[in-house]
Amino acid sequence: MSDKNTAAFFRAEGVLISRGVVHAATWMAAQRAGLRERAIRFGQAALAAPVFGLLGQNDRSLGSRVAHLAYRDMTEDRIHVLAEEYVDDMLEDKVLDSGVELLKKARAAGHRVVVLSEGISEIMERAVERYFRGVDHMVCNRLEYKGHKATGKLIDPVIGGYEGGRWVQAYAAEHDIDLARSVAYAGHGPDLLLLSAVGQPCVVNPDFTLRKAAREADWPVVDYSA
Amino acid sequence: MGAISIRETYEGRHIVLVGGSGFVGKVCLAMILQRIPDVGRVYVLLRGHGRSAVERFEKIVNEGHVFAPMHEEYGAGFSDFLARRVEVVEGDVSKPDLGLDPEVATRLREKVELVINFAGLVDFNPDLRDALDTNVLGGVHVADFVESCRGARLVHVSTCYVAGQRDGFIPERIQPLTPSGDEMDPKTELATLHQLIADTEAENASPEVDTQLHRDVIKRLQARGVEPSDRRIRDMVSRLKRKRLREVMAQAGTDRAKELGFPNTYTYTKSLAEYLLRDRPGLRFTSFRPAIVESSVEFPFPGWNEGFNTTGPLVYLAKTWFRHIPAMPGNPLDVIPVDMVCKMLIIAGAALLRGENAQVYQCGSSDRNVMPIDRLTELSALGHRQWLREHGENALHKTVLARWDALAADPDHVLNLGNIRRVLNQFARYLKHGLPEKIPSELQESASRLAKETDNTTRRLRQIEDVLELFQPFTHDHYCVFECRAIMRHPVKEPEFRFEPESIEWRSYWLDVHMPGLRRWCFPTYENKERELYEPAIPVVLRSAEAEAHKEAG
Repeated sequence: MSDKNTAAFFRAEGVLISRGVVHAATWMAAQRAGLRERAIRFGQAALAAPVFGLLGQNDRSLGSRVAHLAYRDMTEDRIHVLAEEYVDDMLEDKVLDSGVELLKKARAAGHRVVVLSEGISEIMERAVERYFRGVDHMVCNRLEYKGHKATGKLIDPVIGGYEGGRWVQAYAAEHDIDLARSVAYAGHGPDLLLLSAVGQPCVVNPDFTLRKAAREADWPVVDYSA
Repeated sequence: MGAISIRETYEGRHIVLVGGSGFVGKVCLAMILQRIPDVGRVYVLLRGHGRSAVERFEKIVNEGHVFAPMHEEYGAGFSDFLARRVEVVEGDVSKPDLGLDPEVATRLREKVELVINFAGLVDFNPDLRDALDTNVLGGVHVADFVESCRGARLVHVSTCYVAGQRDGFIPERIQPLTPSGDEMDPKTELATLHQLIADTEAENASPEVDTQLHRDVIKRLQARGVEPSDRRIRDMVSRLKRKRLREVMAQAGTDRAKELGFPNTYTYTKSLAEYLLRDRPGLRFTSFRPAIVESSVEFPFPGWNEGFNTTGPLVYLAKTWFRHIPAMPGNPLDVIPVDMVCKMLIIAGAALLRGENAQVYQCGSSDRNVMPIDRLTELSALGHRQWLREHGENALHKTVLARWDALAADPDHVLNLGNIRRVLNQFARYLKHGLPEKIPSELQESASRLAKETDNTTRRLRQIEDVLELFQPFTHDHYCVFECRAIMRHPVKEPEFRFEPESIEWRSYWLDVHMPGLRRWCFPTYENKERELYEPAIPVVLRSAEAEAHKEAG
């Protein structure tokens, strides 16, 4: 057996929490200063929902980019403060206990726990700190700021596309991780490469594309809603 | 120039703190006592205010939270600790020789090496006579005293806002011209000020004013249905005359200040004092100019603040239903925590003792870690949001007021405070006089109650409007960046004295330190609530100076 470490990769959306970036972005847009701004940015964030509906099973990065346009011109201060409020008030009921159990088991099994998320760092880092103890590494999207204000753009690489698969290979090499003995939990079509990269993939609450792929690859599929 | 050791520089040096009962003075005293153990004797010059200076000092030390950490550290030994290091001397800066007892003055002249003059009337538009006495003549008297000492030097605490109504980068020097661009001969200006006071007093005492006030009083008494007796009229006229004199004096000061390009009497008189000191070649002094002094970062503990400070009313306003704070987005509001001010002041004092000082030290953040006013406004709104979500009085506060974001807006915005107040006034007038006569009595009662409440609200709005008007030169009209580089010439060895405004992370300072500090120490004052006083387990009782001197001699 190899002396290398093993890791458990968790996709946050759908595995650990039941809400995605559209929910976060619309909520944040609705908290902007000024009623006009709130209405415009809320509409902008909501536009991401049909984009995810149409393309989300193949590539989620476009949906993420559209949703995060709602952050444009929002100050870093506001985003940080609202992110805290969002995590404390809005995500509390959206944490999936079954996902938390999977995370605990992975930890107990001695895996290095890595969480990947489409959400922004301001929200996800606090969410992980608050609800998911024992996470060793967190990878999420980062907003671009200029002059203390968000530009509405995400810094590349945008998490949510097929990058996850490439990223996991690089991560394993950097941290001396044996992917053949590692596990991954994910539920979206674009996570296919991530799941294929590890020896023990597990499909959680999958969308249509991933369910079909899992059936073909004979991967275990787990469904839970709480 | 090598790094200065603050402790070594101050070792055995005797210091006088003039006006050490103010916000900055108390923190500075506590810092010197706690962090410079081998300093010589610290003489605290105080006015008695109806009691002895020692009693007043005991009250300050016992009730002020600034000394709480020392009470806790020294417990029963705190009185002895203070008695060994501090001597309270009674005096008054508005008097020649600081109003000191001659024996005390002689003793101080021999011993003292550094005088720090904190005394100042920080009221923006005070009675001109008071401002002259404390801010100008007070400064002159302290300088006279310092010159008469064997080897004393002076740190004169001024303000960055002596820059007046200037825009742009404000260098660390005493400007040759006034903000209006005129040359100022300080002695002539002082004479002008004395003349202005004499003229204003004479005008107030004129028969015309007397006649007018008589008429007003009789009218008032008649309106109240009171028989206007001679004695009553005389008393009322005399009271009104005194009140009028204070008002016209304040107005005279403001008018003169504005003529020379200063936003208010405070900055004008402080500036005049600087000019007067500059023209004394024999005086070894430095002018120390803090900007807007606010809650401490770490000393005596995070968030310490007190009184009616500058950002407090603005932050308080952001909690109300009024949204439009008159401020120019992008303009810096130069806030600096009080403990950083004290550290820098102690460094400036050390440089002065070593003869390495600059003429002026500006102590602010705008040059090295800028905080724009719109950011401050947003942070204040966000801080209130966080707080109201948990502590809002009712559902309306928790859900709506919490999200009622304050914005930096133009003072002429259609929803400015003045317009809102005028609409409310009209509404109150309608409720009182405009309702149809034939309406049910219950409705009439409700309307009159509502009219009363509306009147109260408009009165409060008027007060807030006045405060905003005072602050507008700093929040809207002028873009000032105060140079803060002279202090960088004096690196210090002890980390606890380093002045590093770059280290302020504004978001966490504002939300986790400053706003909780304001809520605890300042907002109660605005709401006419009782101030939270410290209650030490063992109060300080100072032995008298004579007993102490006797002990030393023994």
